[in-house]
Amino acid sequence: MISLQNVTKTYRNGVTALEDVSIEIEKGEFVFVVGPSGSGKSTTLRLLLREEEPTSGEVYVAGKNVVRLSTLGGIPKLRRNIGCVFQDFKLLQDKTVFENVSFALEVIGKPKHVIDGRVPEILDYVGLGEKLNNYPDELSGGEQQRVSIARACVNRPLVLLADEPTGNLDPNTSVDIMRLLDKVNKIGTTVVMATHDQAIVDAMRKRVIELDKGKIVRDQSRGVYS
Amino acid sequence: MAFAAISTAFIALFLFGLALLIAREISLVIEQVTGNVEVAVYLSDPVRSDTVARLESELQQLPAVDSVTYEDKEHACQRARELFKSNPAIIENVSCDVYPASLRITLADTSQYAQITAALSCETDATGKVACAEPGVLEVRDYRDILDRLSAITRVLRNGVLFIAIIMLASATVLIANTLRMGMFARRKEIGIMRLVGATNWRIRVPFMIEGLVEALAGAGLAIVTLFLGKVFLVDQLRSQILWFPLIRNSDVLAIAPLILIAAAGVAVVAGTIGIRRFLDV
Repeated sequence: MISLQNVTKTYRNGVTALEDVSIEIEKGEFVFVVGPSGSGKSTTLRLLLREEEPTSGEVYVAGKNVVRLSTLGGIPKLRRNIGCVFQDFKLLQDKTVFENVSFALEVIGKPKHVIDGRVPEILDYVGLGEKLNNYPDELSGGEQQRVSIARACVNRPLVLLADEPTGNLDPNTSVDIMRLLDKVNKIGTTVVMATHDQAIVDAMRKRVIELDKGKIVRDQSRGVYS
Repeated sequence: MAFAAISTAFIALFLFGLALLIAREISLVIEQVTGNVEVAVYLSDPVRSDTVARLESELQQLPAVDSVTYEDKEHACQRARELFKSNPAIIENVSCDVYPASLRITLADTSQYAQITAALSCETDATGKVACAEPGVLEVRDYRDILDRLSAITRVLRNGVLFIAIIMLASATVLIANTLRMGMFARRKEIGIMRLVGATNWRIRVPFMIEGLVEALAGAGLAIVTLFLGKVFLVDQLRSQILWFPLIRNSDVLAIAPLILIAAAGVAVVAGTIGIRRFLDV
């Protein structure tokens, strides 16, 4: 599903974020990418989304070489297959829960009947079936993150990328969010999650890829944080 | 900000239209005063048709001459009466007989005027009057000077207004581009999410391009309406005061409207290109 082959990424300011990194992730896997700040976790996710291009090496997502994709059609199509969740939720404050999720379908041109079918369904799935018409500032942090997960999953992506999804949440809420991500993973979505959260990594016992200064120092199935 | 963009577009397009109307007005005046004739050969009475034919073919053969048309006494009289429409005293007191028939010449090469006087063996006397030995010819009048001066005035006025219009159009473009950019900045979060979920560049850009187009066209609409009102309330007031003077008509304003709209569309396209470019990269 995801393949990084000898990927090196050096930013224009000369910082090398990744150095000769190779990762293979199968369809349906749940993978933690851990490591200290600046170790290259976020860069890895940005490469998969084709927000960055590798300086050298190849990046494949769902069988496509993402470097060769065109800005016109290829990259948007890639991103429709990838859901994204962030630490800061990235919700639109002037839109309701329903509108935040439907926005993701509207802007890729899905017809209204599809939107009206899928949005309540996915919001029900993440446990927010009762809060369709609330605004983000009326929700708790955990609920806001659920909205963002619903938005990431409403188009049924092959891959879900999560960048510190529990970074703003208290431990109990974090556990709930991890249960939800696990549930999303169980229905076949490949999940790649970058995190600092030791307790969660240790509790989940999933594959762990540890980065340090842009290099893989550990790749362990059913691993713990360190 | 949108208001600033629309008003600048309005002023720019208004001046642009004004420049075109001034040019049109002056060409109307030139047409009326000279009939675009650069040289007139007046014929002595009585006019004989074989003299006319002979002179006509003789002049036609000169390389400097572009065209020759014959105007008989009746037409000359009509034209004069048209010119003095507002002054019935002149029309009543001057009989049609005094207006001479003439051969009206436009030149292919205005610097070769001397060919005509040479062909008709004319002499210029001390008062500047050109008398000719050629039988049947009363006098030759050279209108090149007036034409030159009028076209110089046209050029200066039109170019001046066009110059200001171009500067204004450029500022309108920059302002609209800025408005678009501020709009995109205000909605950068939405745009970020749109890119993230796989919206195409076009899906992201089109609303902003439409906004730019609407602003430019709103300015154009206001400019056209203002020019039209100016024509109705200023030009048409003058029309009753100075009857002999040709003035632009509704059809002239109508004729420049498409040009103003095209200029507005051009402004919108350029503004869209520079305003949105920075946000293009997916």
